[in-house]
Amino acid sequence: MIIQIENLKKVYDTGKIQVEALKGVSLGIEEKEYVAVMGASGSGKSTLMNILGCLDRLTEGKYILDEEDVSVLSGNSLAAIRNKKIGFVFQSFNLLPRLSALGNVELPMIYAGVPGSERIKRAKAALERVGLGDRMHHKPNEMSGGQKQRVAIARALVNDPAILLADEPTGNLDTRSSEEIMEIFESLNDEGATIIMVTHEQDIAMHTKRAVVFRDGSIISDKPIEKRKIRRGEIQA
Amino acid sequence: MNLVESFKSALQSVRANKMRSFLTMLGIIIGISSVITIVSIGQGGKEAITGEFQDIGTNIINVQVKAMDTSIETRDYFTLKDAELLKEKIPGVEWVAPSAEGRGYIKSDKDSKFAMVMAVNEHFEELMHLELLEGRFINQRDIQNAKQVTVIDDISAKAIFGTTEIIGEKVKVSNQSKDIYATVVGVCKNVNGGMAAMFGDNMPGNAFVPITIREKVLSNHQISEMSVTLTDMTHSQEIADKMIRLLEKSHRNEDKYAASEGFTQLDTINSVLNIFTMVISAIAGISLIVGGIGVMNIMLVSVTERTREIGTRKALGAQNRDIMLQFLTESLIICLIGGIIGMTLGVSLGLVVGKMINIPLDVSPLVILASFGFSSAVGIFFGLYPAQKAAKLDPIEALRYE
Ligand SMILES: Nc1ncnc2c1ncn2[C@@H]1O[C@H](COP(=O)(O)OP(=O)(O)O)[C@@H](O)[C@H]1O
Ligand SMILES: [Mg+2]
Repeated sequence: MIIQIENLKKVYDTGKIQVEALKGVSLGIEEKEYVAVMGASGSGKSTLMNILGCLDRLTEGKYILDEEDVSVLSGNSLAAIRNKKIGFVFQSFNLLPRLSALGNVELPMIYAGVPGSERIKRAKAALERVGLGDRMHHKPNEMSGGQKQRVAIARALVNDPAILLADEPTGNLDTRSSEEIMEIFESLNDEGATIIMVTHEQDIAMHTKRAVVFRDGSIISDKPIEKRKIRRGEIQA
Repeated sequence: MNLVESFKSALQSVRANKMRSFLTMLGIIIGISSVITIVSIGQGGKEAITGEFQDIGTNIINVQVKAMDTSIETRDYFTLKDAELLKEKIPGVEWVAPSAEGRGYIKSDKDSKFAMVMAVNEHFEELMHLELLEGRFINQRDIQNAKQVTVIDDISAKAIFGTTEIIGEKVKVSNQSKDIYATVVGVCKNVNGGMAAMFGDNMPGNAFVPITIREKVLSNHQISEMSVTLTDMTHSQEIADKMIRLLEKSHRNEDKYAASEGFTQLDTINSVLNIFTMVISAIAGISLIVGGIGVMNIMLVSVTERTREIGTRKALGAQNRDIMLQFLTESLIICLIGGIIGMTLGVSLGLVVGKMINIPLDVSPLVILASFGFSSAVGIFFGLYPAQKAAKLDPIEALRYE
């Protein structure tokens, strides 16, 4: 099992009030799975993803990533894990505006200490993998949303992570671009990548193999998706 | 992330905000350039002055009768015997030049010139580095035979005779109630050299006469000063002490003599220049601090502006020290570039100002090194807090920042 969480709780302490965003979630994800995390806005999807991505700390419970208990690690060790084991794709792309596509994809390798020539080689390969071989030297503001998200995917992939986390990757994209992104995810998954993706769109979730549905910080359904057989609405809780 | 990467990234960010970076650098530029200009000019000036004094020679000890002391009696003044005694009894003494002087006039039947009248021996020419234009200086025979001869300066010669070719002419050399007729045996450049040209006719002339005729020429003919040259300055202090003891022994007195090495004026000028340099450097230092605060301010703005970038970098695996290094190199680079521009500006300004006030510029490598050091120090010191602030940001909060 690549991800194993047990009785995971997350409480946001805002001073006046305490928000319990996750109320004891247990979940196991195997290698090469492709999981959609679904649920209404505010149900705790992003909170879960941030904890899975080692960006945020859990309040209670256990999180084992790739056989390592990450709930006990320090900030800098978590950074190292994010760098090596996790690829994150954000809804708002989060590309650095001053860097070219190539420069953005190089970033995780810079922090991994990969030497310059190899960095460029691998960054180019990753960009070609997402179909941006001809846009390497473009800056983010010279690219469409779909292209930006593809750069972000290349960046998430380039250190060969154990899991790919995507929080509403198509949330800012039109249907055509969304389909392109889904094609990339599917083929990545076919090649063996473990992908966990947040979405609230049925059509997007249909591309995955398993849907985990949240409501108010708890999982209310966890079912495999059998393509074609599933009719619209069936995976909604 | 290594240093090369953070330098590249920092340069990129400096270039992305050219105008802002430049304005931020301004404080550093002003600070560094003024330090370089002032220190270089100060150093150059010091060297020019020292050089001028070195021309005259520094292996000299002046032995004086303490003029301020009212208990000085006639028997305390030096004699020509003292001069011989010092030369004979004290090893390391090359020669001794006793002198007596007074204000007076050089006169012919046509004209007269205000002048310093100095009774000297043959060593005075070397001592003062006199430049002879005509004839010769006072020699040993003049002194032995107490000849009524004189060497006068070019300004007086021209003022009185209209020419310096006056060997053999007779002039009257006077001081207060005394005067003698003396034959001109030589004409030298005025002892005040270049300055004489500026003051022109107002510059007093010089009349040198053999020390042995001082009583005839000078109302106050006491020898109150002797210049002693040494073969080697390393033991100058000991030799000076020995000389004073010997003089005290022969005059049977105590505490009436003082010896000073070289030229005390030089020390005074140097210390004035040093104070001047220090004051300006302090002002420049303050401007560096103000510049540094400017750098800190801009770096804080930059950290805030780039909160999301910091979040993204952290999400991609940047450790706290990577972020720290990135912002620290950025402020370092701003200050270093400011330092380089300031240095260039400072040297150019120094050259221009140096030309204007006629002082050769002396840009020491130490000053250049120090200005690099200072600007780096300012960059690191004032970049530390913003960099730390950036490094400590929580990744999630940074990513959520709008
Ligand atoms: N930083 C935070 N401080 C306080 N409350 C938060 C914070 N982040 C999220 N929450 C709350 O936690 C709950 C879950 O949020 P989130 O995980 O972002 O939901 P989703 O991504 O499913 O829309 C919501 O009620 C939200 O208001
Ligand atoms: Mg969300």
